Parts: sequence; structure tokens; C-alpha cells
Amino acid sequence: MPLTTDSFAMGEMLAVLLSRDMADGEKAIVGTNSDIQVAACNLARQRQAPHLWWVSGPGGMTNPTEGIIRPAADAENIAVAEAVMDLPQMIDFIDWQVHFFDFAILGALQTDRFGNINTVCVGDHAKPRLRGPGTVGISALCGLSRRFYIMMTRHDRGAFVPKVDFVCGAGFLDGGTSRTDFGLPEGGPRLVVTPLGVFDFEPVTKAMRIRSLHEGVTLDEVRDNTGFDLVVPPNIERTANPADEELFLLRRTVDTTGVLARKFPWPKAN
Amino acid sequence: MPASSRSASKKLVDLDTALSVVKDGMTLGIGGWIFHGQPMALVRGLIRKGVRDLTLVPSPGSVAPDMLIGAGCVKTTACVFISFEHLGLAPNFRRAAQSGAVKVLEMDGPGIAGGLRAGACDLPYGLIPDLGTDLPKVNPEGYCKARVQEGGRPLLEVPAIKPDVVFLHGQQADEDGNVQYFGAGYFDLLMAQAARHVICSVDRIVPSSTVRQSARLTKIPSAFVDAIVVAPFGAHPGGSPGLYAQDEQHLKAYVAASRDQVAFNAYLTQHAHGGEDAYRDRIGAKALAGLTAGGTA
Repeated sequence: MPLTTDSFAMGEMLAVLLSRDMADGEKAIVGTNSDIQVAACNLARQRQAPHLWWVSGPGGMTNPTEGIIRPAADAENIAVAEAVMDLPQMIDFIDWQVHFFDFAILGALQTDRFGNINTVCVGDHAKPRLRGPGTVGISALCGLSRRFYIMMTRHDRGAFVPKVDFVCGAGFLDGGTSRTDFGLPEGGPRLVVTPLGVFDFEPVTKAMRIRSLHEGVTLDEVRDNTGFDLVVPPNIERTANPADEELFLLRRTVDTTGVLARKFPWPKAN
Repeated sequence: MPASSRSASKKLVDLDTALSVVKDGMTLGIGGWIFHGQPMALVRGLIRKGVRDLTLVPSPGSVAPDMLIGAGCVKTTACVFISFEHLGLAPNFRRAAQSGAVKVLEMDGPGIAGGLRAGACDLPYGLIPDLGTDLPKVNPEGYCKARVQEGGRPLLEVPAIKPDVVFLHGQQADEDGNVQYFGAGYFDLLMAQAARHVICSVDRIVPSSTVRQSARLTKIPSAFVDAIVVAPFGAHPGGSPGLYAQDEQHLKAYVAASRDQVAFNAYLTQHAHGGEDAYRDRIGAKALAGLTAGGTA
């Protein structure tokens, strides 16, 4: 059974897991509709990364800090930002410059064994079974930032497929050295965080690998919910739950109105 | 010149006059960002007018492209990102894309940014890195292997985008057409620079002195604006940054009404075909006032 603790919501856990991996002084970008991403960046700034710099992709506000999680594009972020940039200027470093961003955090309809992501369509593009929202900055952020994170709020065979139906963000393409062989800069996905666990990529084959499973999650359960063979390490670690200190800072300084708990509860157990 | 002898503004026009330039088959750019600054009064006016076979080039948007598609005004749409965010996928866009009723030109951020920049600069195409996506496969005219390849990275050409008309929504403007934004400007200025004709709706007209008091808010200077239309609550059911929030209740009703074409036609009859005065009456003063009240997230 996936963890369905009353102590913290799924959105809070994902934010904590992402925030732990961020380093002081790094530069990051947060897209539209990104409550968990905003929380993760602002939590890292409260803890190990006080000089993390993040910018709202659509709105241009840098390091908005208020204690309330708002949509990144919202005008209310202006009054609590360090700077406000205009998008036609920002596209220089969002869409062209190599390695300007240390990382981006991206969600997807589908991801695959080599960490490619898809937000465009399920099925054939000409007549899709499911039409998704589209690519926007995902192509550039996957292609050009030093690394990226894949954040999935569902973990099942619909979302974890052998090969994505449409590559709109390049991970490790076909694995091995195919990403850099194609001519993309060094980079690619570092971690995949889901309601079931944390995953990384085996260094040589670049295939997705279990890094840790959350409390109460079994190997069989993850396999049943993943549409390809995960690399299984000899010893599977248990994900460290959010510590009291992390939750205290998250709730008292980052998300004081409880947006994450309200919008991202644990999925109901079957 | 004494102020009294100044001629009346030629740019400030009524909605129908502004829309008279929009013809069947044109390419229409749309500004804003998802639920922010969607030029809905202009969109509803265009639906009333019954324009057909448009090619849309929307900034990442929601209800503006979705409503035009649902009303049958669109033959082809570029899609950078069309989403109803927490309310799900854009319902009419989704239906039309899945049935093939509307052709979708798949694009990404670099594609639209490079294309608009080339359009604004009178260059034939923009140059972008090939990011290893499937976009060139499904949109080969939009993404061509660049004639010049240099260094170790593959490059693509994206054709210039020069919309015939662009619709924008700002919060306020003076009669000369200096348009002020209380929130972010998104792609709006770049759209205006690339377009042949720019129509901008605003929630209110203010005196020139008000604009001059806070010139930093002027994101679209008058030289880039051809027509200004006063449209109070003209971004509804989306939000107008700093003035009113998106109308969650109405957007949910919109999604429900988009379940099939018959239901959506009824929505359009009630909300688009009667004109903006009737639209605001239907939404109601109490509901509209509630959206201006602010509150915590």
C-alpha cells in the first residue's frame, strides 16, 4: 500500500524530497501551475540553500517569498519579489542559453525508462486518445539545463510507459550516450519523485533505477505500477520521511495557508 | 496646442469597429498567459461576428483559444500550451484535436519565441537548437533542419510568425493607446511587435496624467497599438491581474457546458451572442464585484 499517512500530505512529501537535493547558489526556474516546485525551492532557501535563485518562467518574478504559495504567474508575487523580468528578455536564457539553469522541475502525462517526458498526447499525434496541454518550455528546460527533476503525482502504468508517445522533453533519449550523441548538452533527469518512491538513472545504461521506496511500499507494488523493468539495486533503501524540522519550516514559513495539503492529498488506497 | 483643441482619439474605438479588420482565414495571435489577461471580450465579439477558418497563434492560454475553437471559428491552431490547469485539459481544444476537426501545429517555447522574434525583426526565420523532441516530425513546416549547421549541436529554423491581427488585454490605457499592465506582460509586447495589426482591450480608460504617473506600468506603448477597446471585465472568466481574479465558478460551469457541442452552443448563445452589456448582466454585479475583493490563496 502506498503511504497514506495523516502526518503529512503527498504534496508536502514531494516538496520535501525535491528540496533536499537543491544546493546553495543554484539557479532554477518554476513554470506555471507549480505549487510543489515553489514550495520545494522556498523550503530549500529556508534550510541548506539560502542563496538558491529561482524565477517564475511566465511572470519573471525572482525569489518571491511570502509564506503563501501562489501560482507562479500571479501578479501578487511582484510585491514580494527581488526583481521582475520580462518574458521577451528571459527567453534568451530559457530557450537558448546552455546550462544557465542548474535545474528545472517538470511534471508530465508520461515518462519512460530513459526519463523522456510527454505532455502533448497519448496515442498517435494525428488522432490522439488524449490531447494534453502541450510543450511550452519543457523542451528547452530538459534540453539545456544542467539537470532536471521529474515530479509525478501519480505512479501507474499509464504514466510510466516503456516509451513515451511523444518526446517533448528529452531525457536520455534511447539510453547510454544517445543524448550527447544527438548533440544535446550534458544533463538529463537526475531524480524522479512519485507517490511510491524516488528513482534515479543507472550511470551507464541511463535506465531508471529504484533509489528508495516510501514507507509501506513494496517492490512488487512498484513493479505492478511501472510499465517497464526498473533497475533494482541490491539493497533498496527506505525513503526518509519528512522530518519534524522540515515540516515545521514548510508549514510555518513556506506554505502557511496549507495549499499543498489541500491540493495534493495522498491518492486513496484501493 | 491647448488641450481643448486636441482632436479626439482615433485609436479608441468600439468593439465592433475594432473587430471589423478581422476577416475569414486570417492568422490571429492571442496574448495573456493561461487564465491571466485572456482577451475574452474581443473573443466573444469575434464569435458574434461569425469569423471562420482562423489560424490561431495563442500564447500559452486557456479559455480564449478554447472558446474560439468550440465556436467553430478555427481551422488550424498552433499549440504551445493550452490548459485549464487545475480544472483539467482545455475541453473544446481537446475534443477538436482528438477528432481531427482542428489541425494542430505543435510548437514549443523556442519555436514561438524564435518565430515571433523573427517576425518582429523582419527576418525570414529564427534559429533555435534542436532539442531532440518529436516536434519536427509532426510539424515539419514549423521546424526545418537549419541550412547552416555549426559546432556540435544540431540547429533548426523556425519560420517568422507575423500574425495578421493580435488580441491583447491590459488593465488600463489612455486614449492614445498606452497600455498598462498591473501584472506580467508575458509574450504580449513581442506579439504586438510581430503583428500587422494590434487590438488591445482594457478594463478602463484613464487620463494621460495617470499613465504618466506610473510609466513603468506601460508595457505596450501607443506606437504598437492600432485599436483600443474599453471592455470592463473584458478578461472574464479569466482574471485581469491586479483588478479581478479568475472566476472559478464560471470556469467550472464552462467546462461542464463543454461536454458536447450542443451544450456548448447553448453556452455560446447565452454568453457570447448577446454582446458585452448582456454578458455582464448575466454574470451579475454581485459575482463580478466578488472577483475584485481579493483574499488569500
